[in-house]
Amino acid sequence: MIEEPYRWVEAIANRREYIEGQLAPGSPIAALGYREGILFVTLGQTRQKLFEIYDRIAMGAIGHPGDIERLRMAAIEMASTEGFTRSAADVSLRRLVHYSLSPVLKSAFEQIYGAPYLARMLFAEVGARPEDDLFLRVEYDGEIASNGATYARARQDFAVLSGTRQSVELMEAFLKSEHKTDASFETAVNSALDAWSVGHMLLQASETKELPARDAIAQHRQEQLAIAAIEAAVLQRDSNRPIRYRSLADKELRSIVTQ
Amino acid sequence: MDRSQLGFDQNFSGAADDFLSLLRRKGLLGPTVVSPILQKETQQQTWQPTDATTILAFKFSGGVLVAGDRRATAGNTVVYDRADKVLEIDRNSIMAIAGVPATAWEMARVLEHSLQYFRRTQLQEMSVDGKVRALSKLLRDNFGFVMQGVGIVVPIFATYDGNSKPGARLYFYDAMGAQFEAADYAATGSGSPAVRGILYYENTWGAKPLLKLSEQEAVSLALRALDTAAESDTATAGVDRSGKIYPVIKIVSREGITTLPESKIAAVFKEMVA
Repeated sequence: MIEEPYRWVEAIANRREYIEGQLAPGSPIAALGYREGILFVTLGQTRQKLFEIYDRIAMGAIGHPGDIERLRMAAIEMASTEGFTRSAADVSLRRLVHYSLSPVLKSAFEQIYGAPYLARMLFAEVGARPEDDLFLRVEYDGEIASNGATYARARQDFAVLSGTRQSVELMEAFLKSEHKTDASFETAVNSALDAWSVGHMLLQASETKELPARDAIAQHRQEQLAIAAIEAAVLQRDSNRPIRYRSLADKELRSIVTQ
Repeated sequence: MDRSQLGFDQNFSGAADDFLSLLRRKGLLGPTVVSPILQKETQQQTWQPTDATTILAFKFSGGVLVAGDRRATAGNTVVYDRADKVLEIDRNSIMAIAGVPATAWEMARVLEHSLQYFRRTQLQEMSVDGKVRALSKLLRDNFGFVMQGVGIVVPIFATYDGNSKPGARLYFYDAMGAQFEAADYAATGSGSPAVRGILYYENTWGAKPLLKLSEQEAVSLALRALDTAAESDTATAGVDRSGKIYPVIKIVSREGITTLPESKIAAVFKEMVA
């Protein structure tokens, strides 16, 4: 099969279709840079989706728990050994993803006799200033989407991850108009929950191409908040402690969620 | 970073690996014994390396106070007078060290990373018993160096246990890694005999037992004790009056670790000690 290029392309396309199908129901995750740091928000009922990787780096992931676990562990291992042998300041998300995770994901994806990684990840690294925040979304095939400015678009102070492409696009469109970098924590939490709702609605009605109406978003959000728990974490920008990651309990957030 | 560093092995098991074995697997941890040739030479040396410093810790009304002087020595020479031997390991644990600085600081670094690595990979905080044992294991691994006379470390470990039975906990160790939980106070280093005497006396016959002391009283007692140790022990700096160098004092409580600012220590020193 490998000898014939056409078959190889076909095998890759099948594999892509299979993985996309597996990831499609994954609950969205929104990461927003705000005045005091970076906030990760998702809603869920079963598995933990947000994780601490290193002092200033956090990860959110959807996919198969076994694969997420291996990638998470590899990321922690690399960050920890780098932080131990050099210093915490030398641990960089850019290097971690571009030089280590992405090549491994790509080769696992393209070796069609082996198993690919069934996972989609969203990483963020908090900087000293909001301009220094880095967001990277990493796909199962090693593809990387960054929040940095490219010739096609301006820099964003947020990043999202979801089961389908439409869902991601509309969540981004929503945050582009709603989210401000200098937002307070309360505003960021509510924008993130709205963005999550947009993404989640799109997963259920994949035909839609436009942003849902504001009151539809609010209603969907309220319905979901009643049956699911909020999972959230922050990377604090200014802290006298080296470890910036803090996970937030559902309880802490319920009081600031606007109805 | 090359690809092999990624360690994506098929027999993956996240739970089986701790930070030390990760470092060993990647070849980042040195051997725990020096080569046999060096061993013969060091055995002929007559000098005894000392754990030259004074570290003290005691429980008071606000948690555990840990204090250390700031002198680093090599034999009779003062190498450095601003050494920090009271080190923060995590949010509410302190390791204070007496012994060979190179080994001690490295040990603190390994311990700090081990606890963080455990929390990040296992998604839960290590228990106090686990932390105490982790340090004990590091000391045990280092014992080869101790026997060869090149790397003795005798630490104190203070932490706050928020889980099983809430309260401040204090441990001291011997060079082989045996751990002892201290009820009231602990001291280590060459100046410790004097300090131990003072703390015993204060705790038994003082105006009030150590556990009842206020923060102000605790700080002044720590400064007096270090100054007393420095009086007879050349390896302990106590308070450097001319250079205005004060000991490092940290407090472990339920809220975490507080490092007392130098201005505050100076004020207590001026009022109660000098």
